[in-house]
Amino acid sequence: MAAKTKSRTRHYAMVIDTNRCVGCWTCAVACKEVNNEPLGYWWNRVLTTAPNQSTSAKPPASPNIDVPYGVYPNLELAYLPVACQQCNDAPCVKVCPVQATFRRDDGMVLIDYNRCIGCRYCMAACPYGVRVFNWGGHEYAPGGTVGYGKDYYVDGRLVFTPYRPKGIVEKCTFCVERVDVGEKPFCVESCPLGARVFGDLDDPDSEVSKLVNEGGAEQLQSDLGTDPNVYYLPVARRVPGES
Amino acid sequence: MSTATTALRGKAARPAGPIRLWYTALVLVMAWGLAAWIYELRVGLAATGMRDVVSWGLYIFTFAFFIGLSAGGLIMASSAEVFGIKALKPLSRLGVLSAAACVCVAALMIIPDLGKPFRVINIFIHPNWSSPLVWDILIISIYFVFSVVDLYVLQRHVKEPSRWHTTVRVLAYIGLPTAILLHSVTAWIFGLQISRPWWNTSLMAPLFVVSAILSGTALVTLLALAAERWGGFSLPTETRRWLRGFILVSLLLDLFMVGADYVTMLWGNVPAAKSAIDLVLPNGPWSWLFWSEWVVGGVVPLAFLLVPALRRTPGSLGIASVFAILGVYAFRAELVVVGFVNPLVQYPPGNAVGTYNPATSSFQMIGRYHPTWVEYGIVLGLTALFLTIVTLGYEALRLRGSPPSGPGPAAHGDEPGGKAMALGGEVV
Repeated sequence: MAAKTKSRTRHYAMVIDTNRCVGCWTCAVACKEVNNEPLGYWWNRVLTTAPNQSTSAKPPASPNIDVPYGVYPNLELAYLPVACQQCNDAPCVKVCPVQATFRRDDGMVLIDYNRCIGCRYCMAACPYGVRVFNWGGHEYAPGGTVGYGKDYYVDGRLVFTPYRPKGIVEKCTFCVERVDVGEKPFCVESCPLGARVFGDLDDPDSEVSKLVNEGGAEQLQSDLGTDPNVYYLPVARRVPGES
Repeated sequence: MSTATTALRGKAARPAGPIRLWYTALVLVMAWGLAAWIYELRVGLAATGMRDVVSWGLYIFTFAFFIGLSAGGLIMASSAEVFGIKALKPLSRLGVLSAAACVCVAALMIIPDLGKPFRVINIFIHPNWSSPLVWDILIISIYFVFSVVDLYVLQRHVKEPSRWHTTVRVLAYIGLPTAILLHSVTAWIFGLQISRPWWNTSLMAPLFVVSAILSGTALVTLLALAAERWGGFSLPTETRRWLRGFILVSLLLDLFMVGADYVTMLWGNVPAAKSAIDLVLPNGPWSWLFWSEWVVGGVVPLAFLLVPALRRTPGSLGIASVFAILGVYAFRAELVVVGFVNPLVQYPPGNAVGTYNPATSSFQMIGRYHPTWVEYGIVLGLTALFLTIVTLGYEALRLRGSPPSGPGPAAHGDEPGGKAMALGGEVV
């Protein structure tokens, strides 16, 4: 498979600055629109967390979003936008029995909609819970679909289609159809706070390279060894009373 | 030896009522299962109770359960040869028949779980060798072919023991490791996944092997008891003792391993493991699985196997088998469902479920799962298929043998030939 793929010299990555995120869900809604996600689908979502927590570190304060952690007046609140982490060593790629999920050599993990058999093993294997399955066809919000709106192929493989086939798994594509023509993923474009940075890790002068190499950006659940290409800048906080 | 003629012969010889009723019931249940599957194909997997948080359910744990059930027969038939346990020889053909039927039904159980069942061929066109699922399908196919070949050889062996003896022995030596590999690979579907602490333990493969021997032996015991009750099969006392021993030892080992896993998770305070075990332990939402596993499938069968007063009750072996099988099924359900219910992401709002219902949130933090009639229908239909294969096979292979000591309760003189008695004759 790798031999047939055209060599790409980039290595895409995203850095999300949790200092800037206010939990407005604009990225999640923008993602839903540009990718024509049917009702009940969220490729991208914003979790309510305490600052600097990995995704499975401590029990939630509440089942509801926007509820702070702690006891008044010592409350804390942060947000963690989570979509596909585009892992370099992706468990979903390893378990897919038919090589429908594959990693392009610029770091994008994509799904071949024409090959997926719908076994959902990838959903069992993903530690971030970012994959969605099409349980019953496509049902859209009134007003129809917007966004990219046409099929997109990578090396002859269908990796995006606006009207979703029933019975296959899908997820965030890093907006491959936008990135391939030099645009940024739509969540990066739409974030009102500029909390998301997208770029090429192989270019040492790019902003993502600097944030990853010098800015202290971290990966989610890095102990699992999945080596995601999505990084998070920790919340820098100063606690009163401490030096 | 065609199935139809043998079935006819069987009907002519015995009261046709009960067996006809049995087949009618099985066909009705299978038809219901097929109807449910057709409905599921039209509606999509939205017809099931699975959603994005609990994305595997009844199909997958019943699949794992049937894989386990297939163990008993082949391991018993092979042990009879490899370890020279003569008392298990009368069960060889029944055991291998049940193994073949179980593994066939298990493979079919995956089909309704697929979102695109007609693309299943992709597994053979584009196999991904790093996926445990591909290896599992490979070993399932090998195991099925092996069981059928083994059954054929055992059948020939009955008629010409001297000629086929070496082949039977060779197959036994291949069968034992094949069976162990089958259960290990099935365990690795779950056990290798780093994403879910509930699954990610090296104990998974040995645990699957042991629970497979437990449930498989219990199943063969039940089939043999049923065959003795209704089908003129004979189950010598010595064989019963061995079955009892197999069930007892594998049950104790099974509970030991599950318990060791619980202790490991409980002692630590790793949040993702702790929240999983809390779901199962008493007061958790899934504690009924805990009770099913430890009391229904643990204490009760142990009592019927060990306490002298209970042990002497007629049918204690059968009762213990039924409960042990229920316990293993509960273990499989617990393994799969709790692995998914336990939140991967412990922050609100959790994961999207993938379907829209105006009355409820599109997100779940702790997963919920209630199988629907479609899932129950398909699983019952495939279980009926298993029973059909076993019943037809039992008739076609003429497994009804007269016991070595005196005629059995259902010996109606319809023996297809004296040769069939050779099976029983081997015991002594």
